Amino acid sequence: MIRTIAVILLLVLPSVARAERDPADASVLYNAGTEALRRGDLGPAVALLLAAQRIDPRARDIRTNLAIARARVDESQGSGDHGGARPASPLALSAAESWNLAAAVSLLGAALLWAAALRPRGRALALLGAAVFGAGAVLALMLTLRAREEARHSEAVVVSPVLDVAPAPEERPTSPYLLAGGDEVRLGRSRGDLVEVRVGGNSIGWARRSGLWRVSDAARYTARSGARSAGTAGRIDGS
Amino acid sequence: MTGRGLRRATVVVALAALSFPSSVARANTSPSGKLSIEAKLSPEQVGPGDAATLTVEVTSEGLNLPEVPLPQIPNVAVERAGTAQNLSIMNGRVSRTSTTMYRIIPRKEGTVTIPSLRVTVGSETAETGTLTLIVSRGAAARPPTPLRGGMPPGSAPSGTPEIFVKASVDRSRVFWNEQVVLRLRLYSRIDVLGDVDWKPPSANGFWTEGLGPARQGRVRVNGVDYAVMEIPSALFPTRVGALTIGRARIRCRVARVIQPPDPWSMLAIPDVVPEDVTLDTDPVTVTVDPLPAGAPAGFEGAVGNYHLAVHVDALTAHAGEPVVARATITGTGNVSSIRDPEIRTRDASREYVVGTSTRVDRNGDRLGGEREHDMAFVADQPGTLEILPVRFVWFDPEARGYRWQSSEPVTVRIEPAAGGTETGRVAGQGLAPAVPRPGSGPRGSLSLGPSTTNSFFLGFSAIAFASAVLAGGARRRRSRDPRWARVRLLESLLSRELDRARSLAASGDPAKAAALAEQTLLLGTGLRYDVELTGLARAEREQTLRARRAGGEEIGGLERHLDALHAIAYAPPETRRSDAKQAVAATRRTLERYRREIAE
Repeated sequence: MIRTIAVILLLVLPSVARAERDPADASVLYNAGTEALRRGDLGPAVALLLAAQRIDPRARDIRTNLAIARARVDESQGSGDHGGARPASPLALSAAESWNLAAAVSLLGAALLWAAALRPRGRALALLGAAVFGAGAVLALMLTLRAREEARHSEAVVVSPVLDVAPAPEERPTSPYLLAGGDEVRLGRSRGDLVEVRVGGNSIGWARRSGLWRVSDAARYTARSGARSAGTAGRIDGS
Repeated sequence: MTGRGLRRATVVVALAALSFPSSVARANTSPSGKLSIEAKLSPEQVGPGDAATLTVEVTSEGLNLPEVPLPQIPNVAVERAGTAQNLSIMNGRVSRTSTTMYRIIPRKEGTVTIPSLRVTVGSETAETGTLTLIVSRGAAARPPTPLRGGMPPGSAPSGTPEIFVKASVDRSRVFWNEQVVLRLRLYSRIDVLGDVDWKPPSANGFWTEGLGPARQGRVRVNGVDYAVMEIPSALFPTRVGALTIGRARIRCRVARVIQPPDPWSMLAIPDVVPEDVTLDTDPVTVTVDPLPAGAPAGFEGAVGNYHLAVHVDALTAHAGEPVVARATITGTGNVSSIRDPEIRTRDASREYVVGTSTRVDRNGDRLGGEREHDMAFVADQPGTLEILPVRFVWFDPEARGYRWQSSEPVTVRIEPAAGGTETGRVAGQGLAPAVPRPGSGPRGSLSLGPSTTNSFFLGFSAIAFASAVLAGGARRRRSRDPRWARVRLLESLLSRELDRARSLAASGDPAKAAALAEQTLLLGTGLRYDVELTGLARAEREQTLRARRAGGEEIGGLERHLDALHAIAYAPPETRRSDAKQAVAATRRTLERYRREIAE
């Protein structure tokens, strides 16, 4: 009976999880990113392809074009080639798939432990169940930390050709940073039209929101969504 | 000169270095003149923590030379620095001399009295007088007179000191902010032990920059060879008028050679004693003149000899791309204090300070270096970006006038913003992007957080895990309880043995059914009272049950039940079947009652 329940859960979980959230189409994001890459709009290309990769991380075409876009960003900044396209990994999982896996592994561990509890001599089974549940819990913890970092400092891409990152008006004046289109950063607090820009875990200053796209909002800028067309400067909602 | 007569001796206490004129001495000789002692102290005044040298010299005619212990002196640390001995035989007379040096280090200010030192050999006695050492901080600040200004101690040849210091500048009259090279030199013709401690002079009114590490060499002064250690530094006056460079203090430890008292002795071996030396330089005065009037526009105070170069990283750029212009100033002077020349454009939409870096060259005889100033300009519209001439003005003290240098204007062509595959470097990598997809999907969320379903199942699995852990623990605890084990055995009897007895009764074998029920009842009763009853005779069984606190009525009922089952086994076949069924049912009721009683 436990086995039957586990099989049903594994089959039902992905479809339920997928259906309950506002879904984005990986192919639409990929096509929009590829079109931006063809036009030379490296910032939107990187943002849209990053978003497509979040949904379909095993797709070879997405990874190829994303690698090309990143290489062109590096070349435009004179920092050299970073390896070009890499093959898609068959083990790569999207966020939803990772969460489903964590839930399924945790349920399997709990079921094994229940089976051990109902048997007179189930010590080995109990250890196995605890190990499997622990693996699921560790995976869930890692995913939680990643989601928390994304919620606090969301991943974003510079979409304007040049973006100056300067201190806030009340902060001590220092030399501004210059970011180029396609640079991948993380965002922090927002204030009016400005948003805090973070690189490598450190804040480097504040920049205009209109020069940055959040990866989690990339679906808004695809042609099919009707919000904006790719290649024009979009804006970031307040975080 | 035989026997104890040889023990006649002389003890001498002497001041540290024999050549120190500032030393004081107290000597005494025995009445026969065969034993003498002399003590010398140098210098007479020191600061707290500074060392004075006490030299004790004992001379004795004979082979026996007594030790002279130095008594404890309050608030003074005494260190034995070394001993030299000499033996001489002249005209059959043996004379021995011992010279011992002590470092006297007072801890507090005041007057330190070194008590008289007494030495006795046989009937000969000699004694020194007391010595006085004045300890004051003023004495610490004032270096020994012979050492100041380059007159060292122990200058054996006249005018050729063993060690001295000197401060000099390369020019005594300069302009404001003109470089003056100060050289502190330590001349020595005796060995210097360990590192030399240089305390730089006070240089109020000067910007000071070091000119590399200490340099060493050899020079000849007044016909005498010296080893020279030099500390050069560059000074830039920040005020006008007569500025004074104060005294520099140098502390070092030298190896001083103590010659034997009797130069004719064949066994006299010089001894080497370390000695701390403090030397001060003389102050140096530099006259600083103001810069001449009429400085051209753009002069920001740079004095020296410089060269300006301007470089632009690209002559063609796209709109929105930064163009970096760099102004580089190289030359001799205080490059750290140079104000960066202004780099301006006519058409830039935005400009940024990229950075400024300074490289100071301290390896030469004069301070120099290079200063770079980078500015980035961004033009948002196609066209041209003109970087205006950069002008740098400075005062050249050698030419005694102002000089300036201007760069040529630089025009950068600004092309339309990068777009399309034909625009530039980003499109020409040779990597072909994958083609667009014809269909749609897969679909999913861009959020990295869990869905509601994921959260539910994760929470459910956590609860299930926790409950399984609790259930397993409860089960393990109960399995270790003996009452629970008896209940489980009783349940096993009910479910297996009595079911089998019932089926035997129903299948026409009442005798076996009754025998099995009888056996099961005995086992169950044994479990109820936690005792073994099978195989016991009736009386023995009753006695055992009473010992286990079974009631008489209970025992009687049990025995009647057993009798009934026993009778059924031997009753006529036509009556046994129904009786057997009833007896098995009664047995089941009894055992179920036992199970309830145990569980309670």
